[in-house]
Amino acid sequence: MAIISIKSATKRFPNGFEAIKGISADIAAGSFTVILGPSGAGKSTLLRLMNGLETPTGGTVHITGETLGKANLRKTRSHVGMVFQQFNLVERLSVVTNVLTGRLAHRSWLGSLFYLFRNEDMEIAQEALARVGLTDKAWSRADKLSGGQQQRVGIARALAQRPKVILADEPVASLDPVSSEEIMMLLREICDRDGITVVVNLHQVDLAKRFADRIIGMNSGRVVFDGTPAELSPLALQTIYKRDEIEDDTNLDLALAYA
Amino acid sequence: MKHEQTAPSAAALPSKPRNLFPVWLAALLTLLWLIVHDLEISFETLAYGVADMGEYFSRYRKPDFSELSGYLDLMKVTLATALWGTVFALVVAVILAPLAARNLAPYPLAYRAARELLNFMRAMPDLLLALIFVAALGLGPLPGALALGVHTAGFLGKFFAESLERVDAGVYEGVTSTGANFLQIVMYAGWPSIQREALSYVLYIMDRNVRMASVLGLVGAGGIGMALHDALRMFNYGQSAALIIVLLITILIIDYASAWLRRRFR
Repeated sequence: MAIISIKSATKRFPNGFEAIKGISADIAAGSFTVILGPSGAGKSTLLRLMNGLETPTGGTVHITGETLGKANLRKTRSHVGMVFQQFNLVERLSVVTNVLTGRLAHRSWLGSLFYLFRNEDMEIAQEALARVGLTDKAWSRADKLSGGQQQRVGIARALAQRPKVILADEPVASLDPVSSEEIMMLLREICDRDGITVVVNLHQVDLAKRFADRIIGMNSGRVVFDGTPAELSPLALQTIYKRDEIEDDTNLDLALAYA
Repeated sequence: MKHEQTAPSAAALPSKPRNLFPVWLAALLTLLWLIVHDLEISFETLAYGVADMGEYFSRYRKPDFSELSGYLDLMKVTLATALWGTVFALVVAVILAPLAARNLAPYPLAYRAARELLNFMRAMPDLLLALIFVAALGLGPLPGALALGVHTAGFLGKFFAESLERVDAGVYEGVTSTGANFLQIVMYAGWPSIQREALSYVLYIMDRNVRMASVLGLVGAGGIGMALHDALRMFNYGQSAALIIVLLITILIIDYASAWLRRRFR
């Protein structure tokens, strides 16, 4: 069953740049999908369409059967956790408050005005922090943590939403290899154990091959590959990493070397 | 002469981008000179005046502290006026600033309205506001506090709005992506991210309001300014000097106190 369904979506930015040139895709519930492609391929834009952080210029996005629109935007977001390359934590708030922001969609505006949360929210946040192994850092300020730890807080915030889907936009691009490995394993485990659908943007071919159920390859706004990691042949990689202007590309060799 | 590239060793850099700073500086200096010329500002008058000024200031040599406790009471009134003005400004600014921040405002119309309201409050001089409020509410510290509050709410609101606009878009996105509403984004991503800057601005406005509150006494808004005004009008230089010293010391204390507060709030 498809939990996310994108129907011939296009996205043109006000400056005229066309990031998504007609994409249709269904993401199966409980699956782990990696979107692979070079920088500027439109991976980020595609992911942000699935959370309403960008609205498509043409076509539609459906999440759990509902068409994403202005009216159900906040409700949909509350089911869809998002993890960012730059973590996007509120640096001056404590770790646990950052995780509690994942509960905001369920809290009244009056409670939010006084930074009040219910006990059940506190329990959910505690559970999420335990899940990412940061219980002892709960009252540290978010900017005092290392990059890998901050990303785990980002994941805990998404988990606190009790989401159906977690979208991760280049979650390991700012991290060292060891932390990257930990974060990818954490996301995979969340997918396997909680049955949460995970969609991850990556540019590392090796990580994509090791962790994904399904790989969607993108190049200049179009899907150029869609299949299992086993089907990702050197030829397929060439189409994903092909650049229009430069025929003989050293980056391509580099990418293939990783594969 | 034409430069021929003989050796292919180093490719020529693209031509250097033009730096217009000297042109702007020259234009500014010209403008300043024209202003001096146009207003017929004469530096000779200034030189003659220095001697007279020296004589005038010498009249303040002997400050008269015989009524110090009364002066301190007046200073308290002035401080209270400034504090209430600052609190009023803070409340108004906290409500208006998120609406006046371009990246947060939920509707373009709200943004424009909040922005123009802040501009209007800032544009009204507090001395003029104090005159209006004194006429409407009578003599005393209340019209002074209101005048300071309205005027500095415009400043504080603009400072806050600009700080909120400078916060990294990602921080807002992080909270937005959880399904938070406008108020929640402001409370959880906006204010926490700018709390240090905001504190600095509030302390600056407090400092400014204490100084201004003593001036507002001149138009009947109570406090130490009114006493200073009376003393000056009666050519009582001893009392005036004492009042000025009380004021100076108060401002120094406030300055040290805010530096200490800022240090604690890292």
